[in-house]
Amino acid sequence: MKDCNALVKDNRLVAQDTCLMTLACELSPFTPGQFLMLRLTGTCDPFLRRPLAVLSYREGIVEILYKVIGRGTSLLAGKKKGEELSVLGPLGKGFSDPRPEEEAVYVAGGTGLPPILALAERMGRGSLIIGARTKDDIPLWERMQNIGGVEVTATTEDGSLGIRGMATQALNDLLKTVHKPCVIYACGPTGMLKTAASLAQVFGARCEVSIEERMACGFGVCSACAVRTTAGNQKVCTHGPVFDASCIEWGI
Amino acid sequence: MDISTRLAPGLCLKNPILSASGTFAYGEEFARMFDLSLLGGVVTKGLSLHPKEGNPTPRVCETSCGMLNAIGLENIGVDAFIAQKLPFLGTFDTEVVVNFFGTGEDEYAHMAQKLDIEGVSAIEMNVSCPNIKKGGIEFGKDPKILNRLVAQVRQSTTKPLIVKLSPMVTHIGEMALAAQEGGADALTCSNTFPAMAIDENTWKPILGNITGGLSGPAVKPIALRIVWEVSRQAAIPVIASGGITSWRDVVQFLLAGASAVEIGSFSLRDPLCFGVIIQGLIRYMHDNSLESITEIIGKLRTP
Repeated sequence: MKDCNALVKDNRLVAQDTCLMTLACELSPFTPGQFLMLRLTGTCDPFLRRPLAVLSYREGIVEILYKVIGRGTSLLAGKKKGEELSVLGPLGKGFSDPRPEEEAVYVAGGTGLPPILALAERMGRGSLIIGARTKDDIPLWERMQNIGGVEVTATTEDGSLGIRGMATQALNDLLKTVHKPCVIYACGPTGMLKTAASLAQVFGARCEVSIEERMACGFGVCSACAVRTTAGNQKVCTHGPVFDASCIEWGI
Repeated sequence: MDISTRLAPGLCLKNPILSASGTFAYGEEFARMFDLSLLGGVVTKGLSLHPKEGNPTPRVCETSCGMLNAIGLENIGVDAFIAQKLPFLGTFDTEVVVNFFGTGEDEYAHMAQKLDIEGVSAIEMNVSCPNIKKGGIEFGKDPKILNRLVAQVRQSTTKPLIVKLSPMVTHIGEMALAAQEGGADALTCSNTFPAMAIDENTWKPILGNITGGLSGPAVKPIALRIVWEVSRQAAIPVIASGGITSWRDVVQFLLAGASAVEIGSFSLRDPLCFGVIIQGLIRYMHDNSLESITEIIGKLRTP
C-alpha cells in the first residue's frame, strides 16, 4: 500500500449516476475486493477520502466504477482528463480464488458490482448475477456479457432487463441446478448479503461477502468501520472488506 | 537548531509533533508507512481496564472541513496493550504517551498504577470523551471533581501526567487550574466538540450513537482560542490538538502558547503528514533565523 498521485485519463458516465474513471498510477498488484482511498488534491474539503473498489489494474492504469451519491463522489465525477487525485492503496483483504473443483457464482447488487465484476473478469469462469432496480442502473452490461467463460444473468425490479425480481431469487434458482461444490461471492445491500449467506448454508456452499461500512482512514487505525463477527468486532478496512459469510453476525 | 520541547520533568520531546489518541491505534499500521522514530511522541488509543466494544455503526460522518466520530473508545484493554502492543512501540526512538480512562476515581488510579511501568513515557488522562456513557466527560466538567480525580491519579503514578481537557465547559481556564493544582504536569487542549448530523431523507441521525465529536480543520479556530486562553492561565505546558493540517497551523498553536501539538484527524486522510509538517516547521525556523522553538512558544504579539 502506498500514497501516490494519480492522473485522470478518463471519467465518464456509464449508467444512471454511475461513472467509470481510469487513472494512471503505480500500484502494487491488487486482489479483487481490495479498494483504494481517493481524495482530491489541494483541498481539505471534502476532508475524508472515499473508499472505492478497484475494478481493474493493468500496466499502471486503474479502473474505478463508482456511484455518484453525495458531495464527495459528485466532485470526483467532475474530475476531467489530466487532473490529479491522491490515491492510497490497494487496501484491505480481497476475495479468495475459487478452488479448482468449485463452481463460482458471483452476485452483485446495486453499488456492489465493481469488486464482483473485478473477480469475475479475473477468474474467467462461473456465473455472474447482477441485480438492479432498472436497466438504467446497470453499468457495463456489454462488457459483462463479453467476459469469456462467465455466464451472465441480470435481474431488475421492474423487469426492464433480464429477469424481473431480485438477484437472490436468481441465485436460489441457479444453486438448484448446480450439482458440485460451489462458492458464492457477493457484494451489495446488507439484506442481499444476508440472504446469500443463508442460501449458501442451505445449499452447502462456501460464501464470501464484501461488506460496506462508513470509513475514515481505510487502513485500520480509526475503528470506524466495525462489523460484528463470531470473533468479535473486526475492521471492514483491514480484516475485510471480504469476509467468510459464516463469520458475520447479521444484525436486523 | 533546537526543535525539542519540554513537557514535564523527565519528558522532553525531540520535536513538538505527536500523534493524537484515537487516530493512531497502537502505532502498528502507521509503522508500516513511516518510521515512528521521526515523531516527538506517539499517543495511543484510549485504554480502559477491560476491553471495550465501542458504539454501533455508523461511527463516522464527514462534515464541512472536518468529521464527526462516535467510535465509543473501542480498545483492547490495558493488559492486552501492555502485553501485545507496548513492546513494539518500545522499538522506536520516540516517547510513548498512553491515553487511558476509567469509569470512576478508583479505576482511573488503578489504570495509572498499571501503566507505571518501563516503556511508558507519560500517561494522558481522558476526562473528555463525548461518546461514552461512563468515564468520559462527566469528570471533565466540574473543577472540584476534576481536581480530586487528578490528585488521586497523581498519587498512583511516577510518570508525567497529562490531562486531556474537554472544550465543553464555560471556563476552560478554571478546569486547567483544577488539573494543575491536582498535580497534572501538562494539559492537552482539547478533545472533540459534541456535535451531530441528520439525514433529511430518512429523518434519522447519521451516527449510530446519535451524537459524536467534531474534529478537523473546522474546529481549528476554536482550538486556537482555547490553547491561548489556557496557556495564559496555567503555569504548566499545553499540548494543542484541534484541526492541525500543516506547519503553519503548528506555528500558530505554538504562538498561542502550546509547547507541542497532536495531529489526529488529518493523519487519517494523510498518514504521511507528520514528516511533511516537521520538515515544514524546520524550514520555517531556518527561514526566520529561529534557533529554538522556545522563541515561538507563547510569543503571540497582542495589541
